[in-house]
Amino acid sequence: MKIFKIILLILLIVFVGIQFIPTKRNLSEIVPNTDFMIVNNVPNSIKNTLQTSCYDCHSNNTYYPWYNKVQPVAWFLENHIEEGKAELNFSDWNTYSNRRKKSKLKSIVSQIEDDKMPLISYTLIHKDAVLTQKQKTEIIDWITKLQMENE
Amino acid sequence: MKKVIGILAVALLSLTISCKDNKGEQKDEMHNEMSDNHTKYACPMKCEGDKTYDEAGSCPKCGMDLEAVETHNHSEANHEDGHDHGNNESTERTITQNSTKNTATSAILDAYFEIKNGLVADSKEKTATGGNSLIAAIEKFDMSKLTGDTHTKYMEIAESAKEHAEHIVKSPIDHQREHLEALSTDMTDLVALLGTDKVIYQDYCPMANNNKGANWLSEVKEIKNPYFGSKMLKCGSIKKQIN
Repeated sequence: MKIFKIILLILLIVFVGIQFIPTKRNLSEIVPNTDFMIVNNVPNSIKNTLQTSCYDCHSNNTYYPWYNKVQPVAWFLENHIEEGKAELNFSDWNTYSNRRKKSKLKSIVSQIEDDKMPLISYTLIHKDAVLTQKQKTEIIDWITKLQMENE
Repeated sequence: MKKVIGILAVALLSLTISCKDNKGEQKDEMHNEMSDNHTKYACPMKCEGDKTYDEAGSCPKCGMDLEAVETHNHSEANHEDGHDHGNNESTERTITQNSTKNTATSAILDAYFEIKNGLVADSKEKTATGGNSLIAAIEKFDMSKLTGDTHTKYMEIAESAKEHAEHIVKSPIDHQREHLEALSTDMTDLVALLGTDKVIYQDYCPMANNNKGANWLSEVKEIKNPYFGSKMLKCGSIKKQIN
């Protein structure tokens, strides 16, 4: 019993300790004019969906609720954001070549269709990021239209 | 009191540990089969045009399993929502003849064939190895001889192909097959841009890419479908031969 208490105490100290380790915040004040929303004429409803469900990890601006500032949650998040932005960064959309834009649009559709995105680990805590069937269809239809325009 | 805080800490820790990536099960979305009494069967390759059979079996011409089709109805209506552009971009994109017998592209094309053949053999591992070869080949490619517009175009193709290769290295096989479609476009454009000394066949499968159709390049004349592997190895036709 005493050992158990000591372990708990150590864990607590570690937990408090790691709060003091600084993390990079993915925050930029400006929305660059290379942003997906600015380059493309995105309908408002889709704008909101993308902002809530995708932009936290796929843009230069993450919305941080309080629990995302707590370690080690913040570390996991930092990792995800880094990976997410490497795959697709909506803020840098217009720096992509047409070839890359095309393949990204295609991947967005297939990721949404297969429910691979948004990640389940993300939607677990961000309930509002879960895409409803209606939202999915709306995004996919709109992107399909965009793809045809870009042909 | 201490205990309570301790338990709280443990709970928080375990919460974060459970937050690991959930890659999810891959959905096996093969062709949706119809199951009402209007069901007829036809060869997916349309060897005998629109001829249908009342019972399942295999096509007398190509030997492939017959697929269920609904008569007098568009069975893909839900996927295509209205617009009948079914055969889009990938159908139209044939290789513009480039007479340059360029050997510089050989390493890249060989790596692509390694990926393609990995998928023909239904081997995720071989395909991934091919992906690594492709990354290496692109990194080794000497761009210094390319100038102006050709250089820019090559850069775009290479950047895109490399990204697909990176995904192919780390993805499950159905995802690898998805990337092959775009990668094949890149390779087609590469051959059109720089040329090759290899004999290459441009093949086409109407059922790949969710029935939208997709091309691939092959170094052998015989059709071996990388989009379906052993499921439908013979599906497809040669559209063009280079050299």
